Amino acid sequence: MSTRVSRVYGYLAEFNNASQLYKAAEKVRDAGFKKWDCFSPYPIHGLDDAMGIKRSILPYFVFLGGLTGFCTAFILAYSTQVGLYPTIVHGKPANIFTTAAFFPVMFELTILFSGFTTLFGLLGLMGLPRWNHPLFASKQFSRATDDKFFIAIEARDAKFSAEETKALLAEIGGANIELVEDDSK
Amino acid sequence: MSHFVTSKDIPTNGEHLDKGKLALPKMVTGGIAAIGLIGSIAFFLFGSGSAHGSYAFSWLFALFFVLTITFGGCFFTLLHNLSNSGWGTSVRRLMENLGFVFPFMILFAIPLLFHDVQQYLWEWMTMFRETVGDSKNASEALMHSADPHNHLLAKKTFYLSPGFWHFRFFFYFIGLGGVIWLLRKLSIAQDTEKDPGVENLFKARSYSSWGMIIFGVSMTFLAIDWVMALDFSWFSTMFGVYVFAGSALSSMAVLILTSVILQRMGYLKKVVTPEHHHIMGKLMFAFTVFWAYVSFSQFFLYWYANIPEETRYFILRNTGNWNVLSLCLVFLHFGLPFLLLLRSDVKKKPGFLIFISCYILFVHLADVYHMIIPERGPSVGLVVDHQAQLWLNGSFFGDIIALVIVVSGFLFFYLRNLGSAALYPHRDPRILESANLTN
Repeated sequence: MSTRVSRVYGYLAEFNNASQLYKAAEKVRDAGFKKWDCFSPYPIHGLDDAMGIKRSILPYFVFLGGLTGFCTAFILAYSTQVGLYPTIVHGKPANIFTTAAFFPVMFELTILFSGFTTLFGLLGLMGLPRWNHPLFASKQFSRATDDKFFIAIEARDAKFSAEETKALLAEIGGANIELVEDDSK
Repeated sequence: MSHFVTSKDIPTNGEHLDKGKLALPKMVTGGIAAIGLIGSIAFFLFGSGSAHGSYAFSWLFALFFVLTITFGGCFFTLLHNLSNSGWGTSVRRLMENLGFVFPFMILFAIPLLFHDVQQYLWEWMTMFRETVGDSKNASEALMHSADPHNHLLAKKTFYLSPGFWHFRFFFYFIGLGGVIWLLRKLSIAQDTEKDPGVENLFKARSYSSWGMIIFGVSMTFLAIDWVMALDFSWFSTMFGVYVFAGSALSSMAVLILTSVILQRMGYLKKVVTPEHHHIMGKLMFAFTVFWAYVSFSQFFLYWYANIPEETRYFILRNTGNWNVLSLCLVFLHFGLPFLLLLRSDVKKKPGFLIFISCYILFVHLADVYHMIIPERGPSVGLVVDHQAQLWLNGSFFGDIIALVIVVSGFLFFYLRNLGSAALYPHRDPRILESANLTN
């Protein structure tokens, strides 16, 4: 063995089905952990509440993104078509009442900017893209995409303790409890 | 999830509205509606002058406002059955009750069959009757008449002829009325069946497939016959969708109001949760956007192309003070509700939902007013003193009177429907799925 020092990522515990995971998640939540996550092969309704996850702040970003798109489109169309180079089409006025003609552009840019904000905001908040995740070091974890359910509690969490956290996971029904080490470096 | 609803929470015989509580509101609304309807019919038969014609428009406005709401009730019932939805089983009976007001509204549509009313509302009928007379070929007769306005009608005689119009009038009420009656009957039968299974649900779903077509045809062509034909020279393929958007929106507002008020009165406590209100709020939000999309599309194409015979509708509504109403609709029918309904948490708050639903109903009223009333000045003016006008002074009172009468009639039949069966399908196989909804 080498002298390499690896950082502990946290504990990983395996559960057999969704309802076990759900009940275990409620207990981990009630124990006051903040930095932990559930892994399941498919989405489980109501797991957000069981995990005590707060609403994301993403919608506010999207609203601001959409508003930016809306204003950009209006300023772009209005300043060019009415201000800089008034374009007369079908004898229609080039003034504030021309705005009706800009609505499609305003609509499109609102959608486009909110779409971009959603995508990039989401990636940013989730910390994606990334090359690797410490949990991939665990052999059993690959079954999270097949037939097993997992809870991982990170060592970064203020409440984490090598003994008590392990005991908690065992108590709430976790099997194959494994201390995962961050081997990425 | 605070509490998981099980079959023990669902009363065996279902929840019923207290008949004693219903008696007074039913008597008041029914009384106003009955006296008002008889009085209005008498006025339509024996009245004369510009108030007479003006009131015909008020009546159409009030009736069409209520009809759009009942159309929405039919639509959501059909959609719920057709899409095999589970979420709304606990509010489905409310949709059925709302939709089933539609066939009764034929009582309030009786005045539209009087010649005295038709001559103000639909000029083409007068033109048709005067010019065609007993002639076999209506189109030829109109084409060769001295008045050039008649030529516009000549090409439309297949659709715009009084005989076909009256046939369609009854088709809407019998066709769509029959569909909603059938669906509500199936749903109520399940409440008392000895062995409630999925049979009625499957039947309702298969009936809804062709029922939806009858709904689409009835709603679109009723809007065309009654409202678009106020100016027979104007045409818009978007008009039916426009009316549909408003009716789905306003009926969702009524459904939310009903369920929130019933909950405050102590009903539906077990099966309707904030999650249902959230979904219904989302539908209301969606149809707010859809209404804006459709109404703007309609305006935009005509405004851009600027072809005289296509722009009549909008020229009238963008003239004088009507333009103020048109602009108000943009901001108050779309802008404000859009921003108010955007947040997800407010859609779960009953107090806010009551406010926003009332607000949506009010702006929908303004929308229907904007569809119908601008035609009144020109039409009534021309019939009474051959002088087209934009606004008839004092006609506003008629609008309010007609609205009170027809809305009372609507409330009477709605309360009757609510009281005549259980408030939710308590023996539907999916009632528990719906009660434990999360979204």
